[in-house]
Amino acid sequence: MIQKSFQITPEELPEKEVWFAMGYRDSVPEARIRDYVLGLRDRLVPQATLRYMYQVVEAEKLSPRSVRMGGETFTPEGIICSYLEGMTHALLFVGTAGWEYDRAKEALKSEGDIVSDFIADAIGTVLAEMTVARIESDYDDLRTLSMPYSPGYCNWDIREQHILFSLFPEHPCGIVLSDTSLMAPEKSVSGFFAMGKDLQRQPYHCQICKNTKCYKRRKG
Amino acid sequence: MDNLYNAIFKGLAPVAKTSVQEALDSGKTPQEIIDDSMIPAMEAIGREFEAGRVFVPNLLLSARAMKGALDILKPLMMAGQTTTLGTVVIGTVKGDLHDIGKNLVASMLEGRGFKVINLGTDVSKERFIEAAKENEADIICLSALLTTTMDYMKDIVDAVRESGLNVKIMVGGAPLTSDFASGIGADGYSSNANEAVAVAKQLVAV
Repeated sequence: MIQKSFQITPEELPEKEVWFAMGYRDSVPEARIRDYVLGLRDRLVPQATLRYMYQVVEAEKLSPRSVRMGGETFTPEGIICSYLEGMTHALLFVGTAGWEYDRAKEALKSEGDIVSDFIADAIGTVLAEMTVARIESDYDDLRTLSMPYSPGYCNWDIREQHILFSLFPEHPCGIVLSDTSLMAPEKSVSGFFAMGKDLQRQPYHCQICKNTKCYKRRKG
Repeated sequence: MDNLYNAIFKGLAPVAKTSVQEALDSGKTPQEIIDDSMIPAMEAIGREFEAGRVFVPNLLLSARAMKGALDILKPLMMAGQTTTLGTVVIGTVKGDLHDIGKNLVASMLEGRGFKVINLGTDVSKERFIEAAKENEADIICLSALLTTTMDYMKDIVDAVRESGLNVKIMVGGAPLTSDFASGIGADGYSSNANEAVAVAKQLVAV
């Protein structure tokens, strides 16, 4: 089990990803919105300590809908399982923008500006996703890594997050999971990368998913 | 178009406040200002959003400018006059702490003339009913972002119907569909904040 934490400078926050999380997709926000984002970035990012934890476990695809990882059976459904041919192991992870960011966001909310609140939410989303990118870049192995997959996306029932968390120590990285599978701090992520020498890393095929409102949805 | 219309359309809150004062000084009544400039500006930005020419932050900026202008006008309204199209009690259902989408809907409703009672997140059916009674609400608005919490919406709809309250119920949130909404007995569903205003207006027959 690997656990790490890190901080980033405001300039390291990928601005375009923040715009994407704000709903701009391939568009560029007007200058005043970009300035708004930069102002909040400079205020909030220094307060965040990002944390992540991961482990590699044995894994196999059981059926077109299900897999076994770390001795537990999961049902990520057909979209995700279609990417898992050749999986022999899985890298299970959790990551979070942290309680510090949660508190900074709450303090901002108390100022009553809904525009700031919206942008802070998008920044938090990107910070949490940065932990996943850090895990991927940290991991040094000859086996191919798939894209990351998370409960609650691509038709994978979010309730299976409880099974995933059962494979980690209690409250990994300080993350608390509610009965309704809600993670706290709010800006947290969990999931797995499939691993295998014969695995083919494939891009997300968002066009075959029916969830057109998914914030991760990409063209193609 | 006048300065106030432009200020609200462009989401320029300080300019909107100045322009409201200018409109008052020119002899317009608060109701005329709201009807002639403010509501049309919010409707116009809503149409731009629906057409994909502006984005959520633009809606928020306009709603914020509208609210600032309304705050100046409300104390000047004569007894019997109203700035509201109806009263909405809104909240994210029990077990769910997501509030960005719900707050966006609240802002848009407020900006387009509804009185909004925002109960926050993790709201029980009892609290929704209590707030609807207290505020004589016309609409209860339920939000959920999780598939694990959206089912609680049916409990709320059933409890509201059993309470005998004469109130419409509308629902929204990423995992919801119009089929789900009608399946649980809700009166309305919207997939985004701008559409929520249209649905709310329909429910109170404005």
